Amino acid sequence: MLDDIIALKKEIATQSITNQKELEDFRLEFLSRNGSVQSMFKNLGSVPKEERASIGKEMNEVKKLAQKRFDEAKINLESSVQSSTSALDDLTLTAPNTPIGSLHPLTKTLEEMKQIFYRLGFTIADGPEVEDDFHNFTALNFPPNHPARDEQDTFFVRKSDDPDISDLVLRTHTSPVQIRLMENTKPPIRSIMPGRVYRNEAVSPKSYFLFHQVEALYIDENVSVADLKETLITFVKLMYGSDVKYRLRPGFFPFTEPSLEMDIWWGSEKDGKWLEILGSGMVDPNVFISTGVDPEKYTGFAWGMGVERIAILKYGIDDIRTFYENDIRFLEQFN
Amino acid sequence: MKVSYNWLKEFIELPLSPSETADKLTLIGLEEEEIIEYGSKLDGVIVGEVLETTQHPNADRLKLCQVNLGNETVQIVCGANNVAAGQKVPVATVGSTLPIKLDDGSFLTLRKAKLRGEVSNGMICAEDELGLGNDHDGIMVLDETLKVGTPINQVFDLNTDTIIDIAITPNRPDTTCHLGVARDLSAALNVELKKPTVKLSPNVVQISDDISIEIESPEKCPRYVGKMIRNVDIKESPTWLKNRLLALGLRPVNNVVDVTNYVMHELGQPLHAFDYDEINGKKIIVKDFDKEIEFETLDHTKRKCTPGTLFICDANGPIAIAGVMGGLHSEVSDSTTNILLESAYFDPGTIRKTAKTQTLQTDASYRFERGIDPNIQAIAADRAASLIAEITGASLNREIIDIHPIQSNPVELTLRKSYLNRLLGTTLTINEAIEIIDGLEFEVLSKDENEVTLRIPTFRPDLVREVDLIEEVGRLYDYNKIEAPNHGIFVSTETFSEWELLVSKLKKSAVELSFKEIYTNSLISEKEATQFGSIDSMVGTLNPLTKDMTTLRPSLLHGFLKATAYNFNRKASSVRFFELGNVFEQSEDWTFHKGIKEQTHLLLGISGLKNTEHWSSKPISYSLFDLKSSLNELFTKLGLIEGISSIIKDEALVYSYKNIVLGELKSVSNKLKRTYDLETDAFVVELSVNAIESALKKIPQQVYKSIPKFPAFEFDFAVIIENSVSAGDLMTTIKSKAGKTLQSIEIFDVFEGESIGKGSKSIAFRLQFLDPNKTLNIKEVEPIINRVVKTLEKQYSAKLRG
Repeated sequence: MLDDIIALKKEIATQSITNQKELEDFRLEFLSRNGSVQSMFKNLGSVPKEERASIGKEMNEVKKLAQKRFDEAKINLESSVQSSTSALDDLTLTAPNTPIGSLHPLTKTLEEMKQIFYRLGFTIADGPEVEDDFHNFTALNFPPNHPARDEQDTFFVRKSDDPDISDLVLRTHTSPVQIRLMENTKPPIRSIMPGRVYRNEAVSPKSYFLFHQVEALYIDENVSVADLKETLITFVKLMYGSDVKYRLRPGFFPFTEPSLEMDIWWGSEKDGKWLEILGSGMVDPNVFISTGVDPEKYTGFAWGMGVERIAILKYGIDDIRTFYENDIRFLEQFN
Repeated sequence: MKVSYNWLKEFIELPLSPSETADKLTLIGLEEEEIIEYGSKLDGVIVGEVLETTQHPNADRLKLCQVNLGNETVQIVCGANNVAAGQKVPVATVGSTLPIKLDDGSFLTLRKAKLRGEVSNGMICAEDELGLGNDHDGIMVLDETLKVGTPINQVFDLNTDTIIDIAITPNRPDTTCHLGVARDLSAALNVELKKPTVKLSPNVVQISDDISIEIESPEKCPRYVGKMIRNVDIKESPTWLKNRLLALGLRPVNNVVDVTNYVMHELGQPLHAFDYDEINGKKIIVKDFDKEIEFETLDHTKRKCTPGTLFICDANGPIAIAGVMGGLHSEVSDSTTNILLESAYFDPGTIRKTAKTQTLQTDASYRFERGIDPNIQAIAADRAASLIAEITGASLNREIIDIHPIQSNPVELTLRKSYLNRLLGTTLTINEAIEIIDGLEFEVLSKDENEVTLRIPTFRPDLVREVDLIEEVGRLYDYNKIEAPNHGIFVSTETFSEWELLVSKLKKSAVELSFKEIYTNSLISEKEATQFGSIDSMVGTLNPLTKDMTTLRPSLLHGFLKATAYNFNRKASSVRFFELGNVFEQSEDWTFHKGIKEQTHLLLGISGLKNTEHWSSKPISYSLFDLKSSLNELFTKLGLIEGISSIIKDEALVYSYKNIVLGELKSVSNKLKRTYDLETDAFVVELSVNAIESALKKIPQQVYKSIPKFPAFEFDFAVIIENSVSAGDLMTTIKSKAGKTLQSIEIFDVFEGESIGKGSKSIAFRLQFLDPNKTLNIKEVEPIINRVVKTLEKQYSAKLRG
């Protein structure tokens, strides 16, 4: 008897249940009213009384095992049944696309710069893109015959022989906003001027007839080249990481004296090179005079850089025209 | 400007390598743009001995040579007829580079090769292959006493140099010559400057028999120096002179012209040599004309010169355009025997103007228009004359003619210690400052511990103010050495301006509404611009480089349509764009400059598929109402939604806040779609950011409204009306009649069809009523509905639908 029970237990334990049919077969074979487990219990009556308790216990174990196997197999089969019953219950199907909003890489770069300047205590100033000769050139110490005043370099919007009507140009830099600030604000002034500027140039991968600049201006009673250095260094460290390698060298701009340019080391130690990233200097006394600021009392620094250039370096973009084509495949890389 | 490293070494003891020199130049303001190696040092080319030659088994013209290189003997395949055993020859060993330019611009580097099946370990070279001459008839056979293995650069004096191309800023005309660059280096490195010695001739105003010189336009030509040189033998220049010019990329011409170029690059003074015997009347007159002059320059070009152009004339008329280019007729030729050498100072503005109108920039005009030293003319003429005499065997007149109607005197400047340190942020003493700029040839006139007065040489026209001197101290001190303070983060009480915050918020909101930002051109073509209104009301550019940039955009719509078409042409199925930028128009209501109104606009535009083809839904195209819902969301984010109203005008929905017109929403017309090759419908809303800014100022202070305690009562009804009646008008009427318990109106169904008759439509409204003090029931709402329906029936002939 015991041998039969053990054989049945083994049979139950090893029975394969991999689909619904086998599950039903298992139920019929072992658990139904006429199944082998019930049949087994029918034999209990013929067991000698003294063995009945232990045999009964064994039989109960067999019954429990059969029920356990059935329950487990049923749960397993149900979960697999569910995923194959409906085509739409497939979790691996693709989700519908939802449109994603994004800022243009130039805005992103500009935002990053603004945040840095904000931390350095600069506010933001704004001015028109169509400017008069005074704000764009004269007040900025451009001599009357300076090449930048040539038609080859600057878009003119209005030219007039009447001295009361000023010539208008598309601003060639955001420096006119500095002039407007100096005209309207008493120092100290600590502000940046972001904006769109224009140059009458042929379009190529390296140049476009419009681009964006950010300039910074700080005027107070004792602002020096050393202070300029401090902000420049802080800026490049925040923009390019604290291990950025930089150098300052003399430059030339009509509106600053002395003038300086800043280079950063770009690329590896061995194969990299110095790249010019911004121009700067101490506000030229003539600029102060033309805006009614006393150059003996106040000194100041100014600096400027191109947003496109910074973005090109940051993202490794090889053609400046890409910024203005607005190809979605380009834009969606800046989500 | 190209600077020769070897030439610089004639003026200063340079303790730096060529690349270190370039770095130093950059750090003192003469920025290196490129370093060019001139000539080849022929590293790896050595003396070899041909031990044996045998015929190449597979090629009649080639020989197999066994060549002793000193530490090894190798086989080299050689094609020259004159190769023979026993010869000492130059051998380019494997790995060496020869001055032979390949198609890709690189130079030939020798590799171990097989020529027709035979190994060749290098190359036996001809003269031209080493850049040592033009001979290519056979290999070079060397002196047989030379030791095998000797580097060839120890056998020949190779013409090699390093050329540093530097960017000259407009304020530094003194550095357009080697002496000037050397002077800056000598000051920066604190080494002595050795100037070329020039024996000066006594000046006279006139040499009666030879030549007379007259200046009729002294403002344009403040000084003209002439030097007579007789009996020159015009021929090729000596090698040293040719090499100097070749290294700078100049083509040697003859010994006289080459000397004038040499002295220009040495001292910065452009010189011109006239064939004396071609000067009519033995007379030089410097003058301009008040009419246009046609003149043939020595580049065989007939040029029309505008009135005011300065000329060098003889008795018959112009023989050179002053400071720009000489004439064909009086040019030095092989048959020239006597020369008048010109060394003049011309007004920079005059030369700049001529060079520009003629679009002719020469080495001479480049220097004149920047402003050369007005006191170097006699020195340069004597320097050139003595070199010509030395090289050609010519004889020189003792005197020099020096017509100098306007003198240039050196300026005197005072440098104050206080201002210097205040501007640079340094703590220099006056003596330290003088030490730093020592070498620039400033003469100390007086000094004490607080200031120094200096006389500035006339070759530095850029130094006219104290601040200019401070820059000299700063650049030679090295800005990198100035210690930056460490104030840390600067704390400002000011925040970004309201405007800045608004612009940021608009962009951020548009992104949240799933729009992608675009940047488009603000200059468009006139043809494109006419799509958006009358060209007369737009702002144009007077001198655009191309017709594509004639007009400043009057609206952001062009940019959106162009970007949309661009993407649809590249298989995009949907766009959802926004742009924030300035637009321009001519207006009496101007902003910054009389007549011109410049405003900032925000455009949101959508086109194409809202849902692309997908298993979960059918493809659906965007509709105007998708954009309208985004716009409502935007107004909600801005806090404007409560006061927004809209009216239909010219097929657009014009939005206002109180009385401020904000902008309009519309479908892009079929005509515009055709122009931009757009096949899909497109919808845009363009708002004035300036108007939004004004509107925001009118928003009443926000007051919290308590959450209603009682439920709302909803009532649905539908009316049938004529198609021409707009839902907006119906809603306005409903609102005006429903009283203050009306909370909201929604349109939940719009229907047209035969069942309701042609030309009519059915609109179903859901009205929500709320009373803060009680629960409303049908008894209270019914009279309101009746009143509303009655008014609709009366005003619009609406019929209530059963």
